[in-house]
Amino acid sequence: MTFPRRPTRRHRLTKRQRIAAAVLVAVAACFMAIDLTGSGLRGAHGGVRGTLGALYRGTDGALGPARRFLQGVPHASANRDTIARLRQENAQLKARLDQQSADATTDAALTRLRLAAGTSRVLPARVIALGPGSGFDWTVTLDVGTKNGVHIGQTVTDGVGLVGRILHASATSCVVLLAADPGSGVGARDTRSGELAVATGRGTAGFSVSPLDPKASLQVGDSLATGPAGRSTYVAGLALGTITSVRTSADGTSVAQVRAAVSPTALDLVGVLLSDASGPHRTPVGPAAQGTR
Amino acid sequence: MTPPRIAATLAAVLTVLLLQATVVAPTAMTAQLSLPAVLVAAVALESGPGTGMALGFVTGLVADLGSSHAAGLLALCWLGVGIGCGLLADPRRRVIAQVVLAALACTAAGALATLGLTVVGEPGGTALAAVRGLLPSLLGEFVLAVLIVPVVRLFLRSDVLRLPVAGHG
Repeated sequence: MTFPRRPTRRHRLTKRQRIAAAVLVAVAACFMAIDLTGSGLRGAHGGVRGTLGALYRGTDGALGPARRFLQGVPHASANRDTIARLRQENAQLKARLDQQSADATTDAALTRLRLAAGTSRVLPARVIALGPGSGFDWTVTLDVGTKNGVHIGQTVTDGVGLVGRILHASATSCVVLLAADPGSGVGARDTRSGELAVATGRGTAGFSVSPLDPKASLQVGDSLATGPAGRSTYVAGLALGTITSVRTSADGTSVAQVRAAVSPTALDLVGVLLSDASGPHRTPVGPAAQGTR
Repeated sequence: MTPPRIAATLAAVLTVLLLQATVVAPTAMTAQLSLPAVLVAAVALESGPGTGMALGFVTGLVADLGSSHAAGLLALCWLGVGIGCGLLADPRRRVIAQVVLAALACTAAGALATLGLTVVGEPGGTALAAVRGLLPSLLGEFVLAVLIVPVVRLFLRSDVLRLPVAGHG
């Protein structure tokens, strides 16, 4: 067997290559048909995802700091303005804290109610990989899995806002479908008016929100939190974002654009709410329940 | 296919898939960049359509099975990248020409994959998204190709990894 310095120029497929290409195209088409029409490849998906998830953990351990540095580069110039804005907000919040002493009693009562209802445990997790985005599902992979108590359908938060829900879980990692995914629907509630709405993900552009009541009043600046409506069920009360514009059509229906409370491209440390996928766990509150506390 | 080429292929595929998920996708989530596709294009431009189609199909299938969308979509697109770039393989071609060809092929494959999502009914893939993402993707893929193509070219022209005569493409 000899090794030439330069292979010869080729412009056409040989007969064998044409046959091989046709076979591979047919195999790919079969895979797509099987995957789209049933769950025949679920095991293969799970196996590869589990293996890659474990490898992502190792790779992120080595490359994570470099990746986080690169992610921060585009925001470097904006950091000074951000710090100034945050300082101003901090001062305003401190002033408001003084006014809220009257709410302390109510707050204590709410805390007791929450304890009686059983608080959800929050499992901290770090983002170790991101999905392809741009047309494909907007997903992130976390470094926690079923052995940590993670199950499909659980809600993920960054501590304040909604991040998404668990789509797949292996022993040591899990995949989160971001709420920002264009195919994702989130039940939302306007915290000012209490109106229910459905928020549809728009990637980095935030959400598009349609109220269930077409005549509901949505206003710019309104805050939205997860609510009990929509295709996907999330734990209620997590911040979704702030309305930036409202468009009312000729038939009176409104559609609002929302700036997301959580940036889908800047996720790092998040928390998995280890509660039922159907919503927050609740037990009846009454004299008997209070008596046990 | 010699044992060193098989080992190098496995290592390269695994490396680019991990780098894609942990570095490339997080830092460029708004543009659709694909390091594995660039690898497929670079190898095909150097080794021909046979190697290109095999590498494209296998890499795409692993990426498909590790994702949530229907398996076979990326395999099909990257198979096309392998064949297309393989047909353009020319040992006398300059490295910058290979870089441009790889970037163009990967951008086209990315757009086709997005359109493919629309065809198979996956949410998120639209023709508008495919068109809007063309220029950012082209620029990003060009940067990736600048990094990958010369390295692949260097490795595939080394004595250990060069194609034997009987096993062209």
